[in-house]
Amino acid sequence: MLTAVERVLADSLGPERWDGSHSPLLVAYATAPQHVGRDALFLSPADLDALRSAAPGIGFERWTRDDAARALLLIAIRKRGRTGDAFVSDALECFEQGDAREQQSWLRAIALWPEAKAFLPTAIDACRTNIIPVFEALACENPYPSEHFPDRNFNQMVLKAMFNSIALARILGLPARRNAELSRMARDYAAERTAAGRTVPSDIDLAIKE
Amino acid sequence: MKIFDPHIHMTSRSTDDYEAMARAGILAIVEPAFWLGQPRTHVGSFVDYFNSLIGWERFRASQFGIRHFCTIGLNPKEANNPKLSNEVLAMLPRFLAKDGVVAVGEIGFDDQTDEEEACLLRQIELAAEFTLPILIHTPHRDKKRGTIRTIDVVRRAGFPEERVLIDHNNEETLPIVLDTKCWAGHTIYPNTKMDEQRMAALVKKYGTDRIIVNSAADWGISDPLKVPKTIAVMQEQGIPDDAIQTIVWDNPVAFFAQSGRLDVSDLEKRPAIDRTQKFETNSVLRGDQRATD
Repeated sequence: MLTAVERVLADSLGPERWDGSHSPLLVAYATAPQHVGRDALFLSPADLDALRSAAPGIGFERWTRDDAARALLLIAIRKRGRTGDAFVSDALECFEQGDAREQQSWLRAIALWPEAKAFLPTAIDACRTNIIPVFEALACENPYPSEHFPDRNFNQMVLKAMFNSIALARILGLPARRNAELSRMARDYAAERTAAGRTVPSDIDLAIKE
Repeated sequence: MKIFDPHIHMTSRSTDDYEAMARAGILAIVEPAFWLGQPRTHVGSFVDYFNSLIGWERFRASQFGIRHFCTIGLNPKEANNPKLSNEVLAMLPRFLAKDGVVAVGEIGFDDQTDEEEACLLRQIELAAEFTLPILIHTPHRDKKRGTIRTIDVVRRAGFPEERVLIDHNNEETLPIVLDTKCWAGHTIYPNTKMDEQRMAALVKKYGTDRIIVNSAADWGISDPLKVPKTIAVMQEQGIPDDAIQTIVWDNPVAFFAQSGRLDVSDLEKRPAIDRTQKFETNSVLRGDQRATD
């Protein structure tokens, strides 16, 4: 896969060809599946090392080949000197101009970047999506929310996961982030469901701090 | 039975829906401005959307014999981007001034952030300035807390409660709203919010005073015939027709008439359908000129 990504880089983002404008990067980011496919990710040892060294704590279980290619593409432009504010600008453009799949790839990789904190408003806003796979890309198997979200936003995310029947065990770092307000919200949600004659999620206790 | 659906997002619905609604007895509707399922990133997207609510959608409804009114406002989901929200708030007055805009809405809370509260408060001030009622959206998550917080904001602003319709109520929030002078809306959805049976049970328990029902049909799983379907269930459950009429006609008409922009005497007559009419050279006929009433 690294070879495929290097080929894209040489073709459209090579040192002589790329003037640093966003358009060729956005095209490369969007067309990743054309080069590597959309299958589930079976990592070669080299690819796994490349990702793990940059990303301790990320759960790659649900990643697809195009998710990984997009992450590697951004890793590669960093190696060419696009770091700090330049990287934040490049990466935000990839998210804001992305379709739902590109946004999923982007959110899955968000914890990889040293500039991750600069993406907090984008990540909080991404939780407002109604496209559940996009929400899951951030909320599930992802260390970012528990590391960066303030309590209020973290609590809303957990409640939204419950609301959408997403297993709370998929939220990394939840046990350590439980708090009194989240417990109150979860108990209120259980009461509201009961009053409406509906079932209460069986894993709701994972959100409640005893 | 005369039917008024006081909350339905027709922008997301088809002409088949309009035909079915007219057949089911729906005479008039209110389309609140809300979010379109994904965030808008430029103020111009709001300008075009508001213009379509007061123009094209009203025209489309008229082609099926349905009177269309709307509410204009910045919804809470999109109130969290301060640059955008300030631009939208700044251009609201020229829309709130227009005929056919019968309230400020949907406004309220989603994530219950401080930014949402600031936009809610500002729009309450605008409603006071334009002497309009307010349509309140209550949040999906942490609803009870969000409803209480909304009422607090309305009270702090000193806005008259009888000009406030608090929507999307459930078993827990309805008694809270009825303890105020606000009106209480209920959204009948296929899977979430409220259903027909639960609604009938609430009417039996609380009566008809300030009670309103709507379909809130939009781009998600929803049903534009939920008000007529709720009428059928209420009838099966032995709720008298005059009580039902209060809920599905008298109450929403009385609430939105507070805008001074509903001609109540005219409202009961189904408007004649003239499909030779055009809206800015555009018709709903797509070239077929035969269709008439």
